[in-house]
Amino acid sequence: MDEKFDCIIVGAGIAGLAAAMILARNNMKFLLIEKGDFAGSKNVSGGVLWGSDLARLVPEYWKEEDGGWERYINHRRLTFMDRESTFSIDFKSSHFNAPPYSGVVVLRSRFDRWLADKVQEAIDDSDFAMESFIATSIKVDEVLMEDDKATGIRTGEEEFHADSVIIAEGVNNLLTRQAGLQDDYVPADHMLTGIKEVIRLDQKVLEDRFQLNGLSGMSNEFIGYATDGVEGGGFLYTNRDTVSLGLVAGIRDMREKEKSPHDLLNQFKNHPVIQDTIRGGEVVEYSAHVVSSGDKQVMPKALYKDGLLLCGEAANLLMNAGKAIQGMDFAMRSGILGAETIIHAKKKGDFSSQTLQEYRRKLDETYVMKDINQFQDAVHMLHSPEMFRDIPNLVCDFGRKFFTIDSKPTRKSRRLFAESVKKHSSYWDLIKLGFKGGKSL
Amino acid sequence: MKFYVCIKQVPDIDAPIQIKNGNLIQDTDRTVLNAYDASAVEEALVLTEKHGGEVEVVLIGPNQAKETIRKALAMGAHKATHIETREESYDSSVYASILASFFEDKDYDVISCGKQSQDTDAGLTGSMLAEHLDLPYSTNAVALSAQNGQLRVKRQGDAGQELIALPLPCLVSCSNDMNEPRIPSLKGIMQSKRKPMETIALDALEIDESALEAKTAVTGYREKPKREAGQKFEGEPEETARQVARLLDEEANVV
Amino acid sequence: MSTLLTHIAISDGKIKRSSLEVLSHLRRQAEQHGHQVEAVIIDAEASRYTGQVQQYGPSKIYTVENPVFKNHLNAPLLKALEKVIEQADPSLVAFASTESTKDILGALAAREEAAVLSDVSTFELTEEGIRATRPVMAAKILSENEARGDMILVSVRSGSYDLEEQASDAEVIEIDFSVDDQDLRATLEEIISSSGDTIDLSEAETIVAAGRGAKDEKGQQLISELADVLNAGVGASRALTEAGVMDPSLQIGQTGKVVSPQLYIAVGISGAIQHVAGMASSKVIVAINKDPDAPIFDIADYGIVGDLYDVLPPFIDELKKIAS
Ligand SMILES: Cc1cc2nc3c(=O)[nH]c(=O)nc-3n(C[C@H](O)[C@H](O)[C@H](O)COP(=O)(O)OP(=O)(O)OC[C@H]3O[C@@H](n4cnc5c(N)ncnc54)[C@H](O)[C@@H]3O)c2cc1C
Ligand SMILES: Cc1cc2nc3c(=O)[nH]c(=O)nc-3n(C[C@H](O)[C@H](O)[C@H](O)COP(=O)(O)OP(=O)(O)OC[C@H]3O[C@@H](n4cnc5c(N)ncnc54)[C@H](O)[C@@H]3O)c2cc1C
Ligand SMILES: Nc1ncnc2c1ncn2[C@@H]1O[C@H](COP(=O)(O)O)[C@@H](O)[C@H]1O
Repeated sequence: MDEKFDCIIVGAGIAGLAAAMILARNNMKFLLIEKGDFAGSKNVSGGVLWGSDLARLVPEYWKEEDGGWERYINHRRLTFMDRESTFSIDFKSSHFNAPPYSGVVVLRSRFDRWLADKVQEAIDDSDFAMESFIATSIKVDEVLMEDDKATGIRTGEEEFHADSVIIAEGVNNLLTRQAGLQDDYVPADHMLTGIKEVIRLDQKVLEDRFQLNGLSGMSNEFIGYATDGVEGGGFLYTNRDTVSLGLVAGIRDMREKEKSPHDLLNQFKNHPVIQDTIRGGEVVEYSAHVVSSGDKQVMPKALYKDGLLLCGEAANLLMNAGKAIQGMDFAMRSGILGAETIIHAKKKGDFSSQTLQEYRRKLDETYVMKDINQFQDAVHMLHSPEMFRDIPNLVCDFGRKFFTIDSKPTRKSRRLFAESVKKHSSYWDLIKLGFKGGKSL
Repeated sequence: MKFYVCIKQVPDIDAPIQIKNGNLIQDTDRTVLNAYDASAVEEALVLTEKHGGEVEVVLIGPNQAKETIRKALAMGAHKATHIETREESYDSSVYASILASFFEDKDYDVISCGKQSQDTDAGLTGSMLAEHLDLPYSTNAVALSAQNGQLRVKRQGDAGQELIALPLPCLVSCSNDMNEPRIPSLKGIMQSKRKPMETIALDALEIDESALEAKTAVTGYREKPKREAGQKFEGEPEETARQVARLLDEEANVV
Repeated sequence: MSTLLTHIAISDGKIKRSSLEVLSHLRRQAEQHGHQVEAVIIDAEASRYTGQVQQYGPSKIYTVENPVFKNHLNAPLLKALEKVIEQADPSLVAFASTESTKDILGALAAREEAAVLSDVSTFELTEEGIRATRPVMAAKILSENEARGDMILVSVRSGSYDLEEQASDAEVIEIDFSVDDQDLRATLEEIISSSGDTIDLSEAETIVAAGRGAKDEKGQQLISELADVLNAGVGASRALTEAGVMDPSLQIGQTGKVVSPQLYIAVGISGAIQHVAGMASSKVIVAINKDPDAPIFDIADYGIVGDLYDVLPPFIDELKKIAS
């Protein structure tokens, strides 16, 4: 019973499950440890899982009768919002209708559990069916280190040893800090609170209201009044017979403006346009979770160490550049790469950082780090007051004037725009912003 | 002492549910070890740790219920029997008949059950099984101890608690007020995979057809008349307290 | 025409109101369907209660009297019921859902090969048996059930039906009954902490229930003061019975008692579903809790957000004024 594992993964979120799947498929002996009652029990996302990596983990997942996902996205909408109006950019295309889908909506408590079952199946088919485990309701208290090399984990009084440890503990990265990879103090500026309600509608009503067809779905991001001037934004995603409606809001900004996430969400829900969208719905779930701002500045100093890798949001791999929150897909890809690196290390018989640095190199080559690097300016811009306050007001103000037909002489839209700009911003600011935006997107 | 603990997999009552066309739909098909059975397992473990012996769990249910058996094994039960059924669930009297036929040729000191299923609150299986096996029994136990070849049961009755001594072999149904079930340790979870689990197909038990015929049926589900939240008073306690007291008198007429 | 039998539960020297509720309901059902209703009293002094039971109109009353019934023990109770059933040959036996009933209902069903539904909130006779409603999933929803067969057993939650008197001069039939040690099978060694003269929660008109928020001595003091003013029974959440602050027989909820008073005052109780399962059918619910988001407020008719130590003194004071 005391034999050593090839790898111990801490956290059965997206990153940990992805890593576990790759390890199981490659006949590695490992332990996946999750503190929740079951995988996904406390995890929160909006959420759309973007990209196509899911098909790498569960080939042809869309053919499963009861897959863990809700709907695929073929309809996207970005909405500017002020107190009474919304102005949206809307795109829908049948181009997105065929699998592999480029984005699926998931409810984490269902999705993670489903993926964990798939991992269990892979374990059962592996050489280590009896020696690899998924253990839930177990909290890892410490990553064991010897001469600055990770050698296993401790939970309560029990210690377990392994050649390598993957920390996939998510945003509250206590173990990451304990292992010395992250500063103890991460400023609150870089943390947001995400809260979300799952609202049930009659399935037929939902499908009609959102013009859904079969399992097609819509994603809608909101900026402006959704967070009432607080840094952040709102979202609405369609599930099978519910919608996920929520927002993310900067923790420090909220504190300064004396707003609570709960009040913000209520206000968002009471917006006339949102009311029309969710009318007749019943709230069946409420959840809250911290999410990182995705600012590269707070990325851990290193993502590896002797015998140790960091995957997913524990490594602050996340991006919120306005058009979507990407955390799950980054977590999935980093979990896959992390596991591949461990497999490679096992072949070499060397788990030192010399071998594990390969993980960082691979990550840098993928869209994950490329996007994070390239879109930093967009991230900063999105988190600037112009973006979550002035622009939505301006756009809606313009929209209101532009679309008003009131038996008075109609004015040129350029004039209307100028007026709106004057009211909510200045041309100079707008030019600066436009310039920044053009550069960053 | 040889304990058999009858355990059941039940839907997680905390998970959101809805009713569609009279059917009960759970948004997640989350299932758990019936909380009362978890207490029964815990107590059997405590007693065998003290007096020596063995704890075996028995579960009737579909293949997915193995997860629940593992949980009991991870807590520390020594072995398990899984009487595997197809998807559908039965009523208490059918479960009791199946269990009775399983126990027919078994040796044991104590059979423990949970006092009720968390989802249906039926509370019947335990005493039915005792009757089938012609065992002395007690239900709603809130504490157990073993002494002089007897099982001493503290039973929560209508008014007070009854201290009852049962000769062995006997049956007892357990309340969750009896203990805090242990959370399996990682070692426990790892060991659970290697513990003996025997799977018996329901057909292999050769039970009388008639015993498998349910005498009761659930014909549908319905929402409870919704209880709307009433008035909420926030403010000066002195004020609000007096106001509500007066409303209870004048508006609700209940004081 | 067949016989519907009601079991009359006795507790602390009194007939449980809930069994008279069941009897009232059965009598109405019998009238509708042309059956007859009979009652059975099993107690050390069973004959003492026949007069009162006659007020509710059964056509026969069976009594089984024996000192062994002074305290609850399942084996003799089962034996007595078996004898009565043999004689009365009922198609339905209805019980009030008490802890004593819960102890024997399954065994009796197995012995009689009867269909059984426990803890129903309503039921009615059908051609083949009964149709009944049961709260399930910690009383979050209702299930509709059918039971069929030559004999059906049912136990009914207290407060499900109104009492309705209709005096009869029911014939009283004493059933000959004796026990020997072999029948007993178990030994009752002690009765611990019988709550004695406190108000029976399942019948109380008013209940003051205390939760973790009222755990300390001062909280307990305020609770009993409030209960005194209202002449209320005191109940508790599991948080308090588990901590040993309150007697376990006072626990209300899924594991504890199901109550349905006219007025339920929940003090320092969060409103976990397992607690709510036992009190949601109270007529008027008052909640006092300092957390405005406590789930108990979702079902309370009157919710007071505030610290119970600040709220209870003026509340009690005002109620005193109203009382006088
Ligand atoms: C409101 C909201 C909306 C979002 N919307 C989206 C979206 O639409 N699309 C998107 O891609 N992303 C979204 N995100 C971000 C996304 O949820 C995260 O980036 C993603 O979950 C990160 O995955 P992970 O595997 O790294 O961490 P997690 O999913 O957080 O998993 C970490 C796991 O580790 C476990 N754990 C932690 N510590 C321990 C320990 N010591 N011992 C044992 N187990 C431990 C946790 O219980 C958890 O299960 C959203 C986030 C929020 C809050
Ligand atoms: C199988 C099972 C069966 C169960 N059966 C039962 C059952 O029969 N009955 C039962 O009650 N529980 C039962 N439980 C337990 C139940 O889930 C809860 O844990 C329990 O009801 C909590 O009790 P509580 O509300 O007193 O405590 P808590 O949940 O801790 O709530 C205390 C409340 O007091 C408030 N408070 C604290 N201080 C003050 C103050 N000064 N002024 C005002 N308010 C204050 C707090 O805001 C909080 O809302 C069961 C659980 C399980 C798993
Ligand atoms: N399918 C089953 N397998 C094993 N034990 C069961 C099963 N169903 C009921 N029981 C036992 O009976 C108790 C509940 O009885 P009941 O409330 O009648 O459903 C449970 O706590 C178990 O101990």
